[in-house]
Amino acid sequence: MTTPAHRTSAAAPSVGIGWRHPHYAALLEQQPALDFIEVHSENFFACGGAALAVLREGRGRYPVSLHGVGLSLGSVAGIDPWHLDQLARLAQAIDPVRVSDHASFARGPGLHAADLLPVPMNQAALGAMCANVNQVQDRLQRTIAVENLSVYVPWRDAEMSEPDFLNALAQRTGCQLLVDVNNIYVNALNAALRGEATDPLGVCMRWLDAVQPHHVAEMHLAGHLHCGDIVIDDHGSRVHESVWSLYRHAIGRWGAVPTLIEWDTDMPELQVLLDEAERARCTTQRCLDATALQAAAA
Amino acid sequence: MSTQTLHALGAQQQALLQALLARPGSALARSAAACLPDFLDTRHIQTTRGLAVYQANGHAMAERALFSAYPVVAALIGAANFALLARDLWHQHPPQRGDLAQWGDALPGFLQHNAQLADVPYLSDVAHTEWALHAATGAADIAPDPASFARLAHEAPEGLALTLAPGTTVVCSAYPVASLVGAHLHATPRLDEAAQRLRNGQGEHALVWRQGHRARLQGIQPNASALLQTLLAGADLPQALNAAFAVTDSASNFDFSAWLSAAVTDALVTGVHSLLPNAQPENPAHESHRPMN
Repeated sequence: MTTPAHRTSAAAPSVGIGWRHPHYAALLEQQPALDFIEVHSENFFACGGAALAVLREGRGRYPVSLHGVGLSLGSVAGIDPWHLDQLARLAQAIDPVRVSDHASFARGPGLHAADLLPVPMNQAALGAMCANVNQVQDRLQRTIAVENLSVYVPWRDAEMSEPDFLNALAQRTGCQLLVDVNNIYVNALNAALRGEATDPLGVCMRWLDAVQPHHVAEMHLAGHLHCGDIVIDDHGSRVHESVWSLYRHAIGRWGAVPTLIEWDTDMPELQVLLDEAERARCTTQRCLDATALQAAAA
Repeated sequence: MSTQTLHALGAQQQALLQALLARPGSALARSAAACLPDFLDTRHIQTTRGLAVYQANGHAMAERALFSAYPVVAALIGAANFALLARDLWHQHPPQRGDLAQWGDALPGFLQHNAQLADVPYLSDVAHTEWALHAATGAADIAPDPASFARLAHEAPEGLALTLAPGTTVVCSAYPVASLVGAHLHATPRLDEAAQRLRNGQGEHALVWRQGHRARLQGIQPNASALLQTLLAGADLPQALNAAFAVTDSASNFDFSAWLSAAVTDALVTGVHSLLPNAQPENPAHESHRPMN
């Protein structure tokens, strides 16, 4: 594999961008210094053709993270065997640096909502998700990372907090966690709009503090849209300053974690994503430097 | 965790899915929505707003996914009508898989039985052709086997078949579908020529295949269509030739050697394989097939 500028040290910042169709050609042409690129697995489920050829080309230049949106890890109806077959074939072909999907459900008997619907934070949902994650990991013969959601319709009667749910999921299955910092903030803003929280940033910091650091494999940063009555995780703008501050908090607790800039709507020029990725790299480096200084002083 | 608890959660998940995917206003959607307060926090107006966010996202995905596969249908009926069509299809034939590229295959049948579109009866066949193009785009790659053509000279033809390109499909229509789709996608023929063929009541056989990474479309003669359909059905070359020459209205014009030469040049035919047991693998090329109307 020819690699332009991979950073492989575990202690160094590792940043990537979501590689979407409008940037296929630009990224291959420019070959910017990124540690990995991430694609939506389902966009490459075809058996052959141009899309798969482009992904192979990208894989020739960068480590690739396969990020799914359709496994439906939280469905009581289970994993679609066809979906898992396609993912296994793609993972075999691409040898991804990470495989991930969401702590969501979308699948029922004969239906798939093609969305990331929330599951209740209770033992039943945890049990169903553990069984599905185990099935996927057994089939892929590797651990996967599971991402927290933006939730627009909260379930009633939660038995545990979201970090406790995710910690338990990782503990029971050996899976890793993909922490989307923007999603945490969106949920906190929406909780504030519902009158359930007065300090969104504080809520988010406590969320981050509650996650067990050794489970975290990757972080996502993205923009969101404030519609007045609801906040939507639309991945259509730069990362909000509050999310950057939460990112610094997370790095301060967890150290360097591979970090992805996600941008899926209103796509700007590639350079905008690269600028955001560079900011993530610098932010991480500054946090690491500060931690090292503190350690030296102590 | 008891089986009963898991069953209850499954029912709740199905209710939320139905509330989002069932046709708005239908009895199914209403009964599903009535269950939601049992497990969703509906005390705040934001939950209703949140459901609307998921519904709007579904509709937006439906439009994008369907437009990606059916740009010509979209051009023929206009953007506003196409958006409504996408929403209708989303609710009448919701996705069953988590890969939206797989969703939308029901559109040709949906159009055929849509009374509101009775004045555009060719739309279903146009959609069928576009779905074949969409499927060809992602069909399994196949390596050409030029050396295998020597088998045509050295072996008895019985049991030999032509290996066809990925995604090869023939759509036979009472309308000029190849012209209509070609005019919109590639300006070949011109739109006014395609429209004239439509007014003349001209039917066409549309051939779809993939050359390299490019999905291709061509109007073909009935005898070539019969040849390809017979091959796609799994028959050997002699049977396919019999079918081609049985098309009486144009049999005298069919020159198999010339056709094969062009087909190899266009990468429609990529080699020769045997259908006999313990010989070479069967032709893996075709994605779908529709019998002659």
